[in-house]
Amino acid sequence: MSQSEIWTEKYRPSVFDMMVGQQEIVKRANALVQAMNIPHIMFAGPSGTGKSTLALIIVKELFKDKWKENYLELNASDERGIDVVRQKVKDFARTKSIGVVPFKVIFLDEADALTQEAQQALRRTMENYTNTCRFIMSCNYSSKIIDPIQSRCVVFRFKLLEKKDIIEVIKRISEKEKIKITEEALETLYEMSEGDCRRAINLLQATASIALDINAEIVKMIASSTKPTNVKIVLDYALAGDFLNAREKLLEIMLKDSVGGTDIIKAIQKEIWTLQIEPQTKVKLTEKTGEAEFRIVEGSDEFVQLQALLASFVLAGSKEEI
Amino acid sequence: MIKSNFAEKYRPSLLQEIVGQEQAIQDAQKFIKEFPKKKGLILHGQSGTGKTTLVHAISKELNLDIFELNSSDLRNRLKLEEILKPASEQHSLFKSGKILLMDEVDGVTGTDIGGVPELIRILEKTAHPIIMTGNDIWDSKFSELRPKCKLVEMKPLSVDNIVKVLQSILKKENINENIHYLKQIAIKSQGDLRAAVNDLQTYVLSDQTNVNFLEERSKQDTIFNILKKLFQERSDHLNLFDTTKMSLDEILLWIEENIPREYKGKALAKAYLALAKADIFRGRIYRQQFWRFLVYQNIFQSAGISYAKDKPKATFTKYERPQRILKIWLNNRITAKKKTISQKYARYVHCSTSRAMQDFQIIKKIIASKPEIANNLNLSDEEMDFIRK
Repeated sequence: MSQSEIWTEKYRPSVFDMMVGQQEIVKRANALVQAMNIPHIMFAGPSGTGKSTLALIIVKELFKDKWKENYLELNASDERGIDVVRQKVKDFARTKSIGVVPFKVIFLDEADALTQEAQQALRRTMENYTNTCRFIMSCNYSSKIIDPIQSRCVVFRFKLLEKKDIIEVIKRISEKEKIKITEEALETLYEMSEGDCRRAINLLQATASIALDINAEIVKMIASSTKPTNVKIVLDYALAGDFLNAREKLLEIMLKDSVGGTDIIKAIQKEIWTLQIEPQTKVKLTEKTGEAEFRIVEGSDEFVQLQALLASFVLAGSKEEI
Repeated sequence: MIKSNFAEKYRPSLLQEIVGQEQAIQDAQKFIKEFPKKKGLILHGQSGTGKTTLVHAISKELNLDIFELNSSDLRNRLKLEEILKPASEQHSLFKSGKILLMDEVDGVTGTDIGGVPELIRILEKTAHPIIMTGNDIWDSKFSELRPKCKLVEMKPLSVDNIVKVLQSILKKENINENIHYLKQIAIKSQGDLRAAVNDLQTYVLSDQTNVNFLEERSKQDTIFNILKKLFQERSDHLNLFDTTKMSLDEILLWIEENIPREYKGKALAKAYLALAKADIFRGRIYRQQFWRFLVYQNIFQSAGISYAKDKPKATFTKYERPQRILKIWLNNRITAKKKTISQKYARYVHCSTSRAMQDFQIIKKIIASKPEIANNLNLSDEEMDFIRK
């Protein structure tokens, strides 16, 4: 078998003991696997904290060398429509599991991407096949999952990885890959990763493709060249009263770099405090920003909401009451 | 000239002229050939995919008469018995055979009492193939009809296919038009070819000096007039959108596009505030399927926009068509490679495609760093070129 050269795969933990962070969850998952019986499970938490990894470990430990036959991975945000999901689930769950464990496992990643109606349908599917099939679902926000599904699952909440955890992972990989890395660079990597282990490892690999001797400057250089969300120019246009250009630039950034509305909002929220405007205006704009984010998360059209937010910036620029 | 509606004028009369429905054509021909293995055929699919056209073309190709009932006839049991039944038992006078066409069966409603059961009875007795067309064949009232019929789906047309048809029409009319514009029409039609052809006639050709288009031109004026009233007068305007066939959602896109062309400063902010509120209710309508919220969307979108300004205005403003949808579509074409690479990567590392696309700049560097990685991911040569760019 050819070994993966993508480090997030190459160094993905394959047994419980190798998991970093989330110690409580790992312990309980291990206990369930030892009992050879798992309930429907939901992993809630931010990206890059080990949800997919733990799901994979569970099925590997559960089914041993038969895990591939008994495991189906679906990504709710990729598979279009619940019908596809349902059909795949049905086809997979219809046949008996192979080996000693009497059920199969379906991992449904990003379940919060499913609409309410799709979730309602999924709930029926979960019930119908519960004897032959167990679900492990992952999501960023458990609030977006309907109650009936949550109540059928044991919910585990993943936390962002701590600084020491991320640094431990980076050090471990650096050693194996014969990379020299300074303490300062480790800190920088952690800051740039914001607790997302996948991003930290990706950044390390991207940096290492340039130099095997890594200091903080190189990390920053790579991170800034790959950091796509530069909303400053959008806000500058808006503050200058040029709404049309601000809007055009905004759409361009969102499309070219595939940035979603919530990421744009996060970038705007940070940028507000670097702008040359009255402090009390910053507070008001922050309030508008928070409201826009709430609406987008709740399901409104991100581009309409962002335009409304930009209009507030136009007001701020002309020193009008917001 | 009495009528020069393009959708009628350029409706294909031969099977080979029908675009993008190869599978459906094949299935329908097979049905006729195998008759009476199944006695009925239901052609289903959204409007403007060519259901009726297909039936007429088949009848021409196979030299069959068509006996047609359309939605304007009341399809109750008596009427069906009176017309359809004798027709199903007679032989055609001149041609080799006959097809019975029941257009738009979903139009058989509660008022057509006994319509569906009678149709089933006739199906069982008929000496000729019966073809039915409909949009939503999964409605429960057809649950007994469905198993007795062969079902053939007509798929919405692809953007490329629609553009092809539009181009061929323009060629015959000797008119040049920007391809981007045709694409915009095609995207907007969402696979409905008839709507696209109608739009083509309405928008593109209304600039031509031809009296026959006057009616269509007034239709096109409507949205511009609506915007003018909305932005320039100061009034409730609660019924303003009744004069157009455009949906509220589509009008929202037009308003979104044109607010900054009409309003500045305070009015601009207020107008977007109202539009954002309309959008919130639109989101709730879709999520909860609660259509009463349309009232709120309508009010924010009309009165909300109109009262955003302090006083009426009377300047000339050139309104633009909504650009956003077109830009998104064009962008998707450009970034198609980025998407396929992200998909392969996402599968491989167990994350979602959207995540991979967000971190694409980092991922690109990683993939470029080692040839083995491209192998792991099964990237094509074109995809590797994109990475190296």
